[in-house]
Amino acid sequence: MDCSNTAQCCDKAQYDEASLFEKVQIHIHLLFCKPCKKYTDNNNKLTELVRKANLKSCSEAEKKAWKEEITKENLHTPGHSKK
Amino acid sequence: MATNQIDPTKWVDKYSDYLFNYTIVRVNDRDLANDIISETFLAGLKSMKNFKGEATERTWLISILKRKIIDYYRRINSNKGKAEVRINYSDEENDGDWLEEQAPDRFELNAENQMENEELGLAILECMEKLPEKQAKIFKMKTIEGIDTETICNEFNITPSNLWVIIHRARVTLAECLEKNWF
Repeated sequence: MDCSNTAQCCDKAQYDEASLFEKVQIHIHLLFCKPCKKYTDNNNKLTELVRKANLKSCSEAEKKAWKEEITKENLHTPGHSKK
Repeated sequence: MATNQIDPTKWVDKYSDYLFNYTIVRVNDRDLANDIISETFLAGLKSMKNFKGEATERTWLISILKRKIIDYYRRINSNKGKAEVRINYSDEENDGDWLEEQAPDRFELNAENQMENEELGLAILECMEKLPEKQAKIFKMKTIEGIDTETICNEFNITPSNLWVIIHRARVTLAECLEKNWF
């Protein structure tokens, strides 16, 4: 497995989408490749930070409602067009 | 130097997640957070002429949002005074004391962690603003919303290989952005 494949498998592993075979290959590659080891460490850290931050996401319906309100208000308020 | 532009047609796509995460930790109620953000956008539209371009659009919207959140707490606090609640204590020593005195402190031992996590969340969202729009959307769907690969591929009409390339680029950019302060 080369570095490019290792990086992709490592990304997949962050989402539990890497197969057991891929995980074994990653570990073997990491024994000999420092840059990939660093990438994997950072990637794991990023996953941990995103989990810790517990980010919430607005739904498309919520966004649609806000967009409609903004458009409506923009149309009905003279002089409030895009700068 | 006034360099920042204002464009309300892009506010929702660019800043709603940031504003939402900022608000939800402060009011802890999704509907209420939505109402406050809605008020923020409308107040922003009304005061667009005051935008000098010295701060970024997001900073300017956050300053409006902060005032809206303070207004909300002022409103509920003024309502509180109208409905005083007393309880009967079993011992005379405490009789007449306010119920609120015995309420548990919501700022528990992990308050510092909560603040750090909130700061971290906003830092991640700030870094996500640096990603190209499509990359940010796909990363968000996959990582924050946990949507499966097939659904995202269908929505964007891309192959799984394309998706993993996009995710990889997004993760590299985000890791670089967060590395200095958070790794």
